[in-house]
Amino acid sequence: MALSPQTTPSGYQTGFLLPSIHSAPPFFTEQPNPNTQAQFNEQWIRLILTYARHRRLFSLRVEDAVVAGSEWDEVLRNERINRRMVPAHLSSILAAMVAKNLAVYEPAKQTSAVLLYWRLPEEWADVLHSWATATGQLNTILTYYEITDPPVPSSLSDIPLPLLKRAVNVLTRSGRAQIIGVAEGEGIRLFAGGK
Amino acid sequence: MGSSQSAPKVTAQDRAILDLKLQRDKLKQYQKKIQVVLDREQEIAKSHLANGQKDRAIIALRRRKYQQGMLLKTDGQLENLEQLVSTIEFSLVEVSVLHGLQQGNEVLKEIHREMNIESVEKLMEETQEAREYQREIGDILANRLTHDEEDAVQTELRELQALAIGKAVPDERIELPSAPTAPPVISEDLEVVQSPSTNSERIAIPG
Repeated sequence: MALSPQTTPSGYQTGFLLPSIHSAPPFFTEQPNPNTQAQFNEQWIRLILTYARHRRLFSLRVEDAVVAGSEWDEVLRNERINRRMVPAHLSSILAAMVAKNLAVYEPAKQTSAVLLYWRLPEEWADVLHSWATATGQLNTILTYYEITDPPVPSSLSDIPLPLLKRAVNVLTRSGRAQIIGVAEGEGIRLFAGGK
Repeated sequence: MGSSQSAPKVTAQDRAILDLKLQRDKLKQYQKKIQVVLDREQEIAKSHLANGQKDRAIIALRRRKYQQGMLLKTDGQLENLEQLVSTIEFSLVEVSVLHGLQQGNEVLKEIHREMNIESVEKLMEETQEAREYQREIGDILANRLTHDEEDAVQTELRELQALAIGKAVPDERIELPSAPTAPPVISEDLEVVQSPSTNSERIAIPG
């Protein structure tokens, strides 16, 4: 299979470097050979996760392959070779990601949208804990909104609530956080922890 | 999975603080919403004006003004809430400082109870007495020695000293050659003497 490996920096104000395989037409269609398909899936997963990290995207929907104009266009479409991702193909990639614990279906019990784990909940837990330590917010009561929408932008800005809750759960399991519930909602308190 | 083994209890204060913070978040979200509406109303007014519908533009602007008023009001409320929250948090810090001071005070009192001035004075007196006693014993022991014995001790000490000094400075003198005082003179004879000798050696070993 002679691919045309031209590395293409995508111009669009993001400056993300697309891998050369993104310019290969077969990359966009499901391959009959399972080995090839597995390898392509591998590449797609890496591409999706690095792109998501680059642009801080947290979710990917099958719909993104259908409707143009989403933030995923650069990756799911390649106008220069006139190829784009087919929804069924994307859906199978999403399934592969969920199987590898690189994403979860969010909300659960459907298969058309995932929450991307370019950081695992355990890693987010560490990010959350070190943010609280660095900003001196250990032992104070924090609301989720305060974390996802802090007055000073942090690495946790705009983190989706389900992901944040998973990270908090990781921390409570190691005794580094406590969830406080009141009628109005929930809050958490972080501790230095014995770790 | 014991989720909260060592976590401190959630007190009513904690709940109150959380409640306040949640209220504050709600206000912030509300402000965000109003800001969006404000921007939209202006767009509407603009488009109405472009279409020549001046009265409708005015209505949109009036709505906008009203929303602006709301925004200002919520700003005031937000300020109040935030002040309250920070006051409470600061008071909690003060409480913990007070607690620390109290504990320190208790410990200090405890230590002082064990160490009142009378006992210290008594202790010092006893120490003084003990020292005197020790000196007396020393005196008595020293007086037991006769003058002869004392002399013997002194001579032994001198001998020991002499021995120590003798070891440190050995008596034997080493004769070292004295350094030349005149600058060295290069004699050419040396060369001359050297070369014939080597020559003669070579001749001396015939094949």
